[in-house]
Amino acid sequence: MVPPQYYLLLSAAVFCIGLFGILTRNNALLFLMSVELMLNAANINLVAFSYVWGNLTGQTFGLFVMAIAAAEVAVGVGIILVLYRDFDDVDVTKATTMRW
Amino acid sequence: MTTKPELKLGSHLVPGLAAVALFVVMAAAFMPASFPAPQGFAEGAGITASIGYAMFNLDLGEVSAESFLVAFETIDILLVAALVGAVMLARRESGDGTMTVVTDGGRRLREALSGDDDEEVSD
Repeated sequence: MVPPQYYLLLSAAVFCIGLFGILTRNNALLFLMSVELMLNAANINLVAFSYVWGNLTGQTFGLFVMAIAAAEVAVGVGIILVLYRDFDDVDVTKATTMRW
Repeated sequence: MTTKPELKLGSHLVPGLAAVALFVVMAAAFMPASFPAPQGFAEGAGITASIGYAMFNLDLGEVSAESFLVAFETIDILLVAALVGAVMLARRESGDGTMTVVTDGGRRLREALSGDDDEEVSD
């Protein structure tokens, strides 16, 4: 039996790695990957506390978080396609205007 | 252009410190907290089947969970909206509204645009 604190520590570490990626990267695709890391950090917590309470609500909720992440990635990749088409790059710092 | 991620100490120092500081704060908050001993799930309980029952409001699962039918339907609408949004974003705006499907991977179009007609592969 792993105490719940260690799940929380793992989740915090994954979240902070995702935060670091968002703060430092310029590539839009790496942005998406970092957001996925942060969402999955939340998923670790949901599943861990589902185990702690012996109730499956957390695991089911984690499934829904994954579905929302899929929707977010679909829209994000669409935005990246437009970004590449209009600026010939996926560097988010190049797109400084909201018009094209 | 292919770039690989590099750690630049100059510009990445402050975000790195911020991330590490957030981790330290969260760890300091988590470690002294006391949680009850994990209850876990019963030996041989059908976890996957119970999740499936919980998603459709069926009260047949061996492990208790709340019902998620409304969330399930909401996510259905969200996924359709995201799919339509992604297609709308990725669609190419052509001037006359008609567009022929390029089935050769864009090779012919590229040759026509660049002007050279060296055909390496003739199929």
